[in-house]
Amino acid sequence: MAGLVVKRIGLAIAVLLALTCGSFCFFAWLGGLGRSPGPSLLTLYWRWLRGLFDGSTLHVFAQPMFTRNFTLQGVTMLQALGHTVVLLAYALVFVVVFSIGLALLAASRRGSGLDVGARTLAYVGWAIPGFLLALLVQLLVNAIGGPRGVGPFPLAGWPGSCPAGIGVNSGHLTPCPAAGSGIRYVLNVLRYATLPALTLAAAFVGVHARYLRSTLLDTLARPFVTTARAKGLPERRVLVRHAMRASLATFVGALFSDFGAMLGGALAVDWVFQFNGLGTVFISLFPIDVGTVDPYLLVPVLFLTALLVIAASTLGDLATYRLDPRVRRVE
Amino acid sequence: MSDVALAVELDGAERRGGFWRRTLRRLIRQPVTLAALFVLAVVLVAGALAPVLEPKGWNIIDLTDRWHNHGPTIHGHLLGTDNIGRDVLARVLWGIHSSEQTAIVGGIAATALAALAGLATGYFGGWLDAVVTRLADLVTGFPVIVVLIAVFVWLRPVTVWDATVVFALAMWPFGARVIRAQTVAVAAEEYVAAAQALGASNRRIVFRHLLPNAAGTIVVTLTALVGQILLIEATAEFFGYGVASIARPTLGNLIGEATTSGIGPYNTVGLGWWVWASPMVALVLVLACVSLVGDGLDAALNPRG
Repeated sequence: MAGLVVKRIGLAIAVLLALTCGSFCFFAWLGGLGRSPGPSLLTLYWRWLRGLFDGSTLHVFAQPMFTRNFTLQGVTMLQALGHTVVLLAYALVFVVVFSIGLALLAASRRGSGLDVGARTLAYVGWAIPGFLLALLVQLLVNAIGGPRGVGPFPLAGWPGSCPAGIGVNSGHLTPCPAAGSGIRYVLNVLRYATLPALTLAAAFVGVHARYLRSTLLDTLARPFVTTARAKGLPERRVLVRHAMRASLATFVGALFSDFGAMLGGALAVDWVFQFNGLGTVFISLFPIDVGTVDPYLLVPVLFLTALLVIAASTLGDLATYRLDPRVRRVE
Repeated sequence: MSDVALAVELDGAERRGGFWRRTLRRLIRQPVTLAALFVLAVVLVAGALAPVLEPKGWNIIDLTDRWHNHGPTIHGHLLGTDNIGRDVLARVLWGIHSSEQTAIVGGIAATALAALAGLATGYFGGWLDAVVTRLADLVTGFPVIVVLIAVFVWLRPVTVWDATVVFALAMWPFGARVIRAQTVAVAAEEYVAAAQALGASNRRIVFRHLLPNAAGTIVVTLTALVGQILLIEATAEFFGYGVASIARPTLGNLIGEATTSGIGPYNTVGLGWWVWASPMVALVLVLACVSLVGDGLDAALNPRG
C-alpha cells in the first residue's frame, strides 16, 4: 500500500510538471513572450514555478476574475474549483443511485418494459450532448416555472450571483437573492446545484446502468449464484448481496475511468447554467475573435483541472482496492 | 482473409458463408439497427448532397416582406428563415455537410492511427507499449475538449479541413486502448504461437492473423469515434471556438449562434424556435443513429453466447 501511494504521488507530480511546463511554454510563446532579447521560455516557467512556493504567482488562485457570460461578479479560481467539485460530486451521487437502481430492476426483469426503457434512456442520454441537454432543461424549466425556475430550484446561477437575463441584469429591478450563511448557505447551494447536477448525471446514468446490467447478468450466470439460490435465499438477497457485491468493483472502475468525459460535460453544463465553475473561468480566458490567452491565468486553471483528474483516478483506484480483494493480493 | 475466423466453432446455419457474410446475416435480423442505418444514410446523403440541393450556398438572404425572420413554410422556406432572413434548411444542410466531413474523414483517419498504434503496442509490447499506453491514459483521462479549444484558438480562423486534421490527431488514443486490448487477447491465442513456430514474419502475423481478428473491434471503434467527434466538435463550436458560422455553418456553430442570441429565458432577440430547433434535431438524430448502428454492429461482429 505504501509503495502504491509513493508511486501515485510521484506520477502525479510528473504529470503536473509536464502539463504546466508544456502549456505555459506554448501559450507564452503564442503571446509573444520568450523572444530573443528577453528571458527564455524556460526561465519564465521556472520563475512562475518558484513563485508558487514564495507566493508571488500564487495569488492568482484567489484573485477575482471576470467571466465572459456577463454575470459581472468576480469569482476566484479556488471558488470556481469548489463550484465544479460540488457539481461533480452531486452528479456522481445521482449517477450511482439511479444507475444501481435501474440496473437492478432491469437485470431482475430482463426484457420487460422497464429494461427496454432503461436501454432507450441510455441511447438518448448518450446521444444528446451535455450543453444541448442543459439548454433543453432550461427551456423546459422556463416553460413550466418562468425565469425564476421551478419550485425551489432556480433556472441558473450560484447562490448570491445574478445570472444574465434574470434579475437586475435583464433590466428588471429585482435584487439578486442573498446567498445566506451557515446551514442556509448549504441548502442554497444544493438548491442551485440540483438542476445542473441532474442534467450532467442524465448523460451518464443510462450508460452505467446498461454496463452494470450486463455485468450483473454475467455474474448471475456464475456457479456461486446458483449455490446461493439452491440454499433457498430469497431472490432479492441473491441479487443485492451476492450478484451486486461481486459486480460492484467493475462498476466503480468504469465510473471513474469515465471521469474525463464527465469533467468535460461538467464544463459545458457549468457554462450554460452560469454556475461560475472551472468551465466558465476556462472559457472566459479564451477570446473568441482576436487576442491571445494569458498563460499566467490559463496555466493555474489547467493545473486545477489536472488536480481534479488525478484526485478522481486516485479515488477510483482506492475504491477498487477496497472493493476487490484480488487487487489487494496482487500488490 | 477469414480462414482463421472459420475455425471458430459455430452451429449449423451460422457456419455457412464467410465472416462478413455471417455478420451481414446477423445484422439483417436487427430491425432497430436497420432503421437507424436507414435514417442515418438519408441524413448523411442529404448533407453530402448539400452543394446539389442548395447550390446557392448558405448565406442567401430573403428580403421578402422585411428582413425579419419567417416561420416554417412561409415564402417557400420549408424550415423558415433566421433573424436576418437566411434559409434555415439550407444552413442546416450545409451544417450537416461540414460536420459529417469532419466526423467521417477525421474518424477514419483517427481509427487508422488507432489501429496502427493498437496493433503495434498490443503485439510487440515492451517500451513502445509502455510509452504509448501511458500517453493514451493521460490523454483519455483529461477532458479532450480543453485541449481542442486551445488548439482551435491557436489555429484561428479554423477551416473544416483544419478541424478534421485536429480531430484525427486528438482522438486516436481513445480507439487505440480498445484495439490494443483486443490485439493482446488475440496474440495470446495458440494459432499465433503456431505461426511464430512455423517461422512467420512479424509483418505476416500482424496483417494475416491479428488484423482480420481485430477487424470487428476496429469497425466498432470507427462508429464510436465518429459519434465522439460529432459531439465534441458541436460542443466546442457551441462555445464559439472552431469553425466560425460566418465562414461555414456546422451543426455546432448553428446551435451556438442561435442560442447565444436567445433561447428560453435568454430570448432577447426574438429568434424563432425553428432557428435553434432545426440544427438541434439534426444533431441529436445523427448522434442517436450513430450510437444505435455502432451497438448493432458490435452485436453482429462480436456475438457473445
